[in-house]
Amino acid sequence: MKLQLPANINLPKFSTVKFYILPVASLFGIIFVIRTVIAGSVPAPVAPPVVEPARPPYASFVAGSGIIESISENIAIASPLAGVIKEVYVKAGDPIEAGQALFSLDDRDVKAELEVREAQVERAQAQVQDAETQLSLYQGVNDPRAIMKGEMLKRESILAIARASVAEAESQANATKTTLERMTVRSPINGRVLQSKARVGEFAPAQVMTNPLMVVGTVSPLAVRVDVDENDAWRVERGKPAQGILRGNTEIQFPMTFVRFEPYVIPKRSLTGESTERVDTRVLQVIYSFDKNDLPIFVGQLVDVYIESSK
Amino acid sequence: MYLIALKMLIGNKGKFFAMIFGVALTSLIITQQSSIFVGLMSRTVGFIFDTPLPDLWVMDPKVQFVDDIKPMQDTKLLQVRGVQGVEWAVPLYKGSIRARLANGTFQTCNVIGLDDSTLVGGPPTMAIGKVSDLRLADSVIVDEAAANGKLAKPGPTPQSPKTPLKVGDLLELNDNRAVVVGIARTTRTFQSQPVVYTTYSRAMRFAPRERKLLSFILAKVQPGQDFTTVARRINAQTGLAAYTGPQLKGLTIRYFMKNTGIPINFGIAVGLGFFVGVAIVGQTFYSFITDNMRYLGILKAMGAKNNVLFSMIVVQTFLVGALGSGIGMGIASLTSIISKNSELAFYMPWQIPVVTVLATTLITLLTTIFSLWKVIRLEPGIVFRG
Repeated sequence: MKLQLPANINLPKFSTVKFYILPVASLFGIIFVIRTVIAGSVPAPVAPPVVEPARPPYASFVAGSGIIESISENIAIASPLAGVIKEVYVKAGDPIEAGQALFSLDDRDVKAELEVREAQVERAQAQVQDAETQLSLYQGVNDPRAIMKGEMLKRESILAIARASVAEAESQANATKTTLERMTVRSPINGRVLQSKARVGEFAPAQVMTNPLMVVGTVSPLAVRVDVDENDAWRVERGKPAQGILRGNTEIQFPMTFVRFEPYVIPKRSLTGESTERVDTRVLQVIYSFDKNDLPIFVGQLVDVYIESSK
Repeated sequence: MYLIALKMLIGNKGKFFAMIFGVALTSLIITQQSSIFVGLMSRTVGFIFDTPLPDLWVMDPKVQFVDDIKPMQDTKLLQVRGVQGVEWAVPLYKGSIRARLANGTFQTCNVIGLDDSTLVGGPPTMAIGKVSDLRLADSVIVDEAAANGKLAKPGPTPQSPKTPLKVGDLLELNDNRAVVVGIARTTRTFQSQPVVYTTYSRAMRFAPRERKLLSFILAKVQPGQDFTTVARRINAQTGLAAYTGPQLKGLTIRYFMKNTGIPINFGIAVGLGFFVGVAIVGQTFYSFITDNMRYLGILKAMGAKNNVLFSMIVVQTFLVGALGSGIGMGIASLTSIISKNSELAFYMPWQIPVVTVLATTLITLLTTIFSLWKVIRLEPGIVFRG
């Protein structure tokens, strides 16, 4: 139906140009809205990890963190005597054999004492000789009436005493020699010097030290001491294989074989680098071993460990 | 016929503009207030938004929202790693540490400690430097807004301008030396604190002494595994809560909705906007119809049926609605574009324009129904009385 107003009724006038301002403004408004909505719906870019995190190689496993140590465990070399270090024969990293001298202490006083002791041995020996001569003079007398019986016995005992003092002086000299020997510290094992803090001129106390003078150990094969949280400890099974993954480069992975459990569950230290480290929980330590071969791995490094588990 | 309706409408300039102004004002208020509300709410989860890499966030089950840190023991990380279906898990520290500025003022910073070896959870975009620079000694990465604002170096006098923090500058975090090695672009957070990224072990050093410091464990689920299944397994084996990113966002937003006055405040503003719209538009349109009774009466006298008149009115009201809401929402969007780099929290997902359009439709519908009654009762004879 077409409607038309009568000609004598006039609607108010309006300008077409002005009218278009509003739809155009509205259109622009809608464009702004769409723009804002699109700009706001962009998700944040995903920052990739700098190094890919370690991924477990097994379907079911127990995770632990491990520290690499020598299979002999790291031996903190102690000095049997206190003294000033005179000479260090090895450097950190040197291969060593059992019995090889590592470092020696200042032994001038002991050497001087040894000279005294040796002189004492000589003096005692001279006394023995003197006593022997005296006794043989007495024994050379043929007429028994010329010498009193007591006199004869006295000479014999003088000789016996002199011989005893030789033995005494000799053992004293030997004791000093042993002391001298103990002033050179020797390696107890075949292996490698892992750390050396012994420096010529420093004092080596004969006691347990937090920073040992020297650490030695066997580096082939290497061992990994794995900390497993006490809550997961029941899932670790004897003899199961494990995979070690080096921190910082997850491509360095190596299979490890079970060695033993550390039978005593110890409090874990959270390694914050502070002097007073916090105890949070107890951990079961499991020892694993692996062949170092050409892997760029050093004793003391931290590794992520996955132990296969069927539980 | 519709042309007559348009001529009637536009010819009455004053009323026409008043109605458009009313609708525009309503849609401006609704759009702007709800966008600011959504913007504020999304800021509470800005940190989760910036960290999309992990599939699961593992934390103490008593955590209420993302800034509510309840630290865990370090060994929990190993336990989570041992859960079946977890591809990898890394620690994350999140906490507040005070930074001391050169002029002696203190600024609380949000320190994020990333896993030392992988640096998972790093800032999404770097303005200067790279995330791997965190391997350098004492290094930290600072967010861009803080580097130019809250952590900027103050001038010699309080009036002189601040110098922005640059790469190589020093910061003092809890009496520890920290070197800025990069500037990151991060999403603003609710508290607008400077964000300082560093490594986990360094964050341990910066953080005040506490027995437990592990805030979150970020975990990736093995491909092919269901997130919720793995999350449930983590919960069963370790007693910790595991949420996906969206779940943690939901948790955080629900906390703010429930425990702050923000939703009520904005709800009142939006409601008022709606009623202002109804009042202005309804009243103006009613008087507009009264003004035009003459023409409508003529049409009715000429034999136009009621439904013809209705459709004319519907065209009029919906034209007003369309023009007004377009202009109103446009102004709201324009303010967001202009204030892009300010502190204004403005975030407009597509739902907001849709809701605004629905609201303006509702206003126009109410107005139409209001006016219809008058038209139905209109007697054609009115033309001849005046």
